[in-house]
Amino acid sequence: MGNQNATIAVPAPRALLSHATRETLSNYAYLLPAAICLGGTVLFPILKAIHMSLYYNVLIKPQEYRFIGLGNYVRMVQDPTFWLTLRNSFTWVFWSVSLQFFFGFLVALILNGQFRGRAVFRTINLLPWIIPGVVVALIWEYIYQPNYGPLNDLLRRAGLMREPVAWLSNLNLVMPAVVFTNIWRGIPFFTIMILAGLQAIPDEIYEAATVDGAGVIQRFWSVTLPMLRPIIVVSTATRIIWTFNYADLIFVMTSGGPANATQITSTYTLMQAYSDLDWGYAATLSVILLVIMLVFTALYLKLTKGVESVAG
Amino acid sequence: MVKDDAYYASRRQFLQTLAATGAIAAADLAWWQEPFLGPRRAGAAASTVRFQFSVPEPLRISLVESLVERFNKSQSDVEVKVEFVPQAQARQKLITAVSAGSPPDCCQIWDNWVGEFDGMNALEDLTARIKGWKHYKDTVPVAWQTVTVKGKLLSFPWVVTNDAIFVRTDRAKEYGLKIPGPDWTWDDFLTLAKGFTKPDKNQYGFGMRGAGTWAVLYATEFLYSNGAQVLKDGKVVINSPESVQAFEWYIDLIRKHKITPPSVATDGYRQIVEGFGRGVTSMYLHNSGSVEEQKKFVGEPNFATLPLPLGPAKKRASFYFSETLTMFKAAKNKEGAWKFMTWLMDDEPNYDYAKTLGLLPTRQALADRPHYKHPGYQGFVKSFPFSIVSPYLAYAGWGGKLDSEGVPLVQQAMLGKISPKECLDKLAEVLTKNMA
Repeated sequence: MGNQNATIAVPAPRALLSHATRETLSNYAYLLPAAICLGGTVLFPILKAIHMSLYYNVLIKPQEYRFIGLGNYVRMVQDPTFWLTLRNSFTWVFWSVSLQFFFGFLVALILNGQFRGRAVFRTINLLPWIIPGVVVALIWEYIYQPNYGPLNDLLRRAGLMREPVAWLSNLNLVMPAVVFTNIWRGIPFFTIMILAGLQAIPDEIYEAATVDGAGVIQRFWSVTLPMLRPIIVVSTATRIIWTFNYADLIFVMTSGGPANATQITSTYTLMQAYSDLDWGYAATLSVILLVIMLVFTALYLKLTKGVESVAG
Repeated sequence: MVKDDAYYASRRQFLQTLAATGAIAAADLAWWQEPFLGPRRAGAAASTVRFQFSVPEPLRISLVESLVERFNKSQSDVEVKVEFVPQAQARQKLITAVSAGSPPDCCQIWDNWVGEFDGMNALEDLTARIKGWKHYKDTVPVAWQTVTVKGKLLSFPWVVTNDAIFVRTDRAKEYGLKIPGPDWTWDDFLTLAKGFTKPDKNQYGFGMRGAGTWAVLYATEFLYSNGAQVLKDGKVVINSPESVQAFEWYIDLIRKHKITPPSVATDGYRQIVEGFGRGVTSMYLHNSGSVEEQKKFVGEPNFATLPLPLGPAKKRASFYFSETLTMFKAAKNKEGAWKFMTWLMDDEPNYDYAKTLGLLPTRQALADRPHYKHPGYQGFVKSFPFSIVSPYLAYAGWGGKLDSEGVPLVQQAMLGKISPKECLDKLAEVLTKNMA
């Protein structure tokens, strides 16, 4: 009779999801806040801009708001100012980045050497990069001021100039003047990046190259440059994207003038949005900027594959 | 040594704690925006009014802060919180705030923005309130014109001003030049400007504006002296023969007579005011807003103001513009905003504001006070009989276009890239296209 109270083993209820699935889902749940943040701050504005670009959306004409399909894109293709700004953008980016890179590289090579006061020079070199862009623009606008700016004053005192030069009002000088300011500001970025790369190259490689009879120039071409290639690719690519979208400097120094001589596509977009209140057209210009940068990034990704093989 | 795991949270525990902290912080964000040491509240039950103020010069910050403090102390129902925005970003910030549905309750805007914001359907129609306001009839009618759009009164004209020519009297004396009387002509103007121009000393006769909307407006004032107009019978006529003739004369001041500094094409408000203040130029066209500044720069007895010179048509015009106080349709505290705006328009606050900034009050009783009898203001006072509201206020769509297309066109003419006629033809096209 005692056996009547025997306990019968009942299998535990089976969970709806397996342990592995729950683990995976829980891992994704942790990623969700970041995904929402990225979607909200990156993806949503892009989709919204594409959506806006398909509408006639001039803020002071709310009654005329309507879907116009590719109307804004057709207008853009026919807009001579847009093509002018695009040409200006390429000039601005090409000269700014190439010369920033050249001088940044040069300064990095100098700062990589051993000399007294190197730490002080490294700090001073960083200053233009630390100062906010708008402040840089105001400082240089003052330096270039033809009537009471220090640059003309210096040139006049040195006997190199008889009549004041209007650096920011002369159609031939204004773009080189703003590009020069941007070069001054951007050199430290390349210096720091390349200096970091230079210091990561093991001395043994140089020693081996020297033993093999390589001279200074050969060591530079065959060791330094190939070893720096990943850093050069990354830094130039990011700098090109930044410069293409960088509106502050020109906006403060010249507002794109005189006569649109320094109007780049990003300042033109800003003007369409906030001066003409034409948000549909401004969105169209933004989308085109995005497309241009996407094409560039695709090329850049091709380049980075090359980088991986070098690094590997 | 064995590590005591009890003191280390797992990665999951760490993330859970982080998420919980984030949630608590997000729920409590409201207090985060409150300053630890906030300004004295007007009263326990005071309702808040958000007031946006755009700052073209630092002096205005302390002035407006003191006015707001005086208002907050004067009563216990409403507390005004002022939001200072640099002048260059003010319009953008307001547009963005209006588009997002969260504009301030009230703000200071320039009269050429009134039409634009009305176009956006953003402004409260104040017609009924203003017509019942105690000082309505004492306000000069032209001031109301600057804030009337499609028959609706949309703002208070806080202060007004018109344009006149500043002249260095001390330098004229030094060079033996005679300062003409108020009814001077274009020829007198040119003779005086040439007399002042000494490029070897970095001195020029006239500080012409080439940047910003007023580059177009100042040029237009000279066109009016030759009998030109912007609009006639509903049509844009800015490229009429008399207009072209006047603009050719105006551009010749730069290209032929070389009486302007070489930086003319990019000289904005600060450059023309500072150029005169630093002695680079000896004349410039501006509103009364820089009278007080020039008293400090060049000294009170060393300059005078004259009305614009008469052109060949024996005509002239000076454009009025006003700095206004307006309320938004989406304002959360309309009664509080109205109370604050009417307080700012009261005798003493209004007079203090206008006097400090060198601008003219819109109420006759205040404009008659002795301060405005000073010679520095005489060029402006003498311009009243031929002052008109800017013709560019006619269409809201023109405001932004003057900046984005009008200014580059005028700059191209200044730099000789296009002829004055081409410039005006293209400007007429832009204006005609945007008559909405």
